[in-house]
Amino acid sequence: MGALAAWAQQVPVREVTLDNGMKFLLVQRKGAPNIAAGWVAKVGSVHERPGITGTAHLFEHMMFKGTQTIGSRNIEEDLRINVQLDQVKAELRKEEQELARKLRLGLIANAKDPAVRSERHRQLLAEFDKLNARQKELLVKNEFDRIYTSAGASGLNAGTAHDFTIYFIQVPANKLELWFWMESDRLLNPVFREFYSERDVVQEERRLRVDSTPTGKQREEFDAMFWKSSPYGWPVIGWPSDLEGITREEATAFFGTYYAPNNLAACLVGDFDEEQAVAWARKYFGRLRRGAQEPEPVRTVEEAQHGERRLIAHAETVPTVVIRHHTVADGHKDDYPLSVMAYLLSGRTGRLYKSLVLEQQLANSASADQNTYKYEGFFQLSAVAKPGKTLDAVEQALYQEIEKLQKELAPERELQKIKNQLAASKYRRLQSDFFLMQQLLVAEASRGWQAINTDPPLLDAVTAEDVQRVARQYFPREGRNVLHLLPKTGGGERRGTGGGL
Amino acid sequence: MNTRRQTLAALLGAPWALRGAEDIVKHPRELKFAPRTFTPPRAADFRHQLSNGATAFLVEDHDFPLINLAVTVRTGEFVEPPEKAGLAQLTGSQIRAGGTTARQPLDFDEAADFLAAGISSGIADVSGSAGLNCLSKDMDAGLALFVEMLRTPGFDAERLQLAKSQLLQSLERRNDSTASIEQREWGRLLRGTSHFSTRQATKGSVESIAREDLAQFHARYYFPANFVFAVSGDFKTAEMLARLEKAFGNWPSPRIAPPQVPKPNFTPKPGVYLVHKSGVNQGRVRMGHLGVMISNPDHLAISLMNSILGGGAFTSRITERVRSDEGLAYSAGSMFMPGTYYEGTFTAAFQSKSETVAQAVAIIFEEIDRIRAQRVKPEELETAKARAIEALPTRFATAASRAGQFASDFYTRLPEDYWQKYAERIRAVTLEEIQRVAQKYLRPEQMVVLAVGDADAILKGNPDKPQFKLEKWAGGAGVVRIPLPDPLTMVYPAG
Repeated sequence: MGALAAWAQQVPVREVTLDNGMKFLLVQRKGAPNIAAGWVAKVGSVHERPGITGTAHLFEHMMFKGTQTIGSRNIEEDLRINVQLDQVKAELRKEEQELARKLRLGLIANAKDPAVRSERHRQLLAEFDKLNARQKELLVKNEFDRIYTSAGASGLNAGTAHDFTIYFIQVPANKLELWFWMESDRLLNPVFREFYSERDVVQEERRLRVDSTPTGKQREEFDAMFWKSSPYGWPVIGWPSDLEGITREEATAFFGTYYAPNNLAACLVGDFDEEQAVAWARKYFGRLRRGAQEPEPVRTVEEAQHGERRLIAHAETVPTVVIRHHTVADGHKDDYPLSVMAYLLSGRTGRLYKSLVLEQQLANSASADQNTYKYEGFFQLSAVAKPGKTLDAVEQALYQEIEKLQKELAPERELQKIKNQLAASKYRRLQSDFFLMQQLLVAEASRGWQAINTDPPLLDAVTAEDVQRVARQYFPREGRNVLHLLPKTGGGERRGTGGGL
Repeated sequence: MNTRRQTLAALLGAPWALRGAEDIVKHPRELKFAPRTFTPPRAADFRHQLSNGATAFLVEDHDFPLINLAVTVRTGEFVEPPEKAGLAQLTGSQIRAGGTTARQPLDFDEAADFLAAGISSGIADVSGSAGLNCLSKDMDAGLALFVEMLRTPGFDAERLQLAKSQLLQSLERRNDSTASIEQREWGRLLRGTSHFSTRQATKGSVESIAREDLAQFHARYYFPANFVFAVSGDFKTAEMLARLEKAFGNWPSPRIAPPQVPKPNFTPKPGVYLVHKSGVNQGRVRMGHLGVMISNPDHLAISLMNSILGGGAFTSRITERVRSDEGLAYSAGSMFMPGTYYEGTFTAAFQSKSETVAQAVAIIFEEIDRIRAQRVKPEELETAKARAIEALPTRFATAASRAGQFASDFYTRLPEDYWQKYAERIRAVTLEEIQRVAQKYLRPEQMVVLAVGDADAILKGNPDKPQFKLEKWAGGAGVVRIPLPDPLTMVYPAG
């Protein structure tokens, strides 16, 4: 057996909590040239409200813009210009609101057309550009990145999800103190420079990921239909009109609440001296001040669904059917049998592939997942119809597989196959230090990092009866949410006889 | 804004904060670090020759009870007959999916899944691959399945029919996303339409592929002398070698020289090309020209130059200007990839809303001109060098990445001392050389610019900045419109 094989049963994490509430998770892996280092803020789009959707993600971008020390040649002037920019922006907002009013009443056709702007609007824009140009002269561009890169650190990045925002990097094992310096500095003394041009970057990210992809808009539509009251219904990247409107003041207030140390956890995986790391944690992150109030848990729960919902959308894609049911939150006792049920249905030897793809030849692919967030969860089945087969037929075949699980217990050998795979995955997921660091932080943001050790035995204990029970409980007809994506031919320049579909 | 300053003031009043803070340096450049030396491992120390002619790189790693075995096969899409485009891809996937001569596909899949063994196979443009990942306790059973698949694939007719149906369905949708249109048209503009790298499967070519074609393809290229093994994980090298000998030793290899990857015979035509796609609000742009071979002694200087220009993410000029300064794109940068078999390419790319496509193109042209006209700053070069040198340990960080790197270098015939000399060669590059290679290898007059998106909106540009127009770089021919081809026949409508 491998030297660290016991890890798969119990990943050895040393947990240290600072006086200000910030938690550190330390995992030793001797010999690795780099240390995987990261921290998580327990905040995501689920903590937003209408009007500021996209703030958690925009924030993630702003955290790379430097600090009072990093990123500017003249910090006093830099901060003065920030204040002036906000003032001009507030005035501009009034002009934009007036144009929005005219647009609403049909008095103008396009609020972005320069011809509809007032004289004052034009002046403000010129002033705004001038201030930006002046600030640009003071900037030490992307210095935060440059310091890490020059030191040989790599993979500096971050990600925002519904429940958390995670920041990570790999630092050379001899330069761990640099990580402590940099990360504590950007939490202690952040300056949200280039705020307004960064909002434009996020708009481009939205166009890239949603608007200009074949199914991005339709999938967003399906999410909005699926969630009735829960804040999981809006996209992490935010609605475009909110992105246009978010102010630096709103972002700063968001930071004050959610980036206090009592809402943060950090993790190091690699070859380092544990006592030294704890000392640095106290020295650097100990400077952060505990938030005045603990952030509130999300209040709004998803209200029960009272009727089947269907979304029929046309998109430039393969004919696809998706079925979703509300289930349980991450770590609920039924999360485990629902996950095993998804494994039974998915994969090369899963029931959906065998039945829909191979035997009935209705679909070209099919899969199932149990997806959980901190506060809610859902079970999803999806399949791509074979040419000539209808989405209705595919949809019915998916229901039949659920019914089979409701009526008959899964055979022992089939269940054992799933458990063998889960046993192997306990090792596979630990092979990468970087991935382990991310898993620990994501688990910490939801229920606590210990889930990485406590989940495997709970999955292993799932019985055929458990699977049958959840198959019977969570899939009522009135709880169905169904998406049909019907192919349409895209617009392009296709002169001549181009074969339309 | 004020919140932050208040926080700092309050903090300074807290005694525990003062205690920790006093010996924290003002700027990270004042931090002192223990030196780190890194010598890349030598492939020769891990290389073994099997009696059947195959080469194997074995790297032990006893942390976890897992074995990872990867085989690279000397084949690729470049050997398939043009009228059978899609054959290599189907052969690669059906080696895995089509069962074996002894086992039905589903029996094989069930056996692999019950063992929790990951078994894979595929064929890409210039190589084939096959892999096994299993628990070390199951090594014998896993390896037996793997060899059975690799040596005696069944190419089950029904599975082939299914795979063809899936492939045809994806061909039908090849004009759906601007990303796939961009990739396809970029290849055609740079390599022409007769080179294997831009060849497209069609309904006709896929339908003409029969089970026998797959079996012949496999027989012709799959034998041990064409394999390079990369094995890592929980084993003893001598024992693993004995296992590989036993599993592959009696598989004879014909004496056939491996196939040569053909070079393209095409000169790209500079200009601006536009593909219209309705319903999208963002244009995708690639711009560039042909580049160099990896054997070119300038390729590391070129790589550093490109790192400063657009390859170094947030520390590079194109990202800085297009993204951070102007907010015109989420991702913007450049690549100068040296070629292994034929000259590589220089490509800058970004995605921006239709109105600002021309402005971002203008910025990239400006940056190309600037790096040719003026020497870069010493600190820019230092950052680029540090980035390159410090990335070396990461390349060799795990047993699997070491074995994989050795196998890949052997496959592409990279000089044996390449990584040992790498840091020294990077350090030797001067500011003058950066400018010299920028002038020699960046060729603005040869730039091909491709934009995919809402053509009218892209050409109209930004009403606030009428000075930026795409036509400016089109030359005498004007902007060339490329229509979308019929997705199943790949016939382009006549302009």
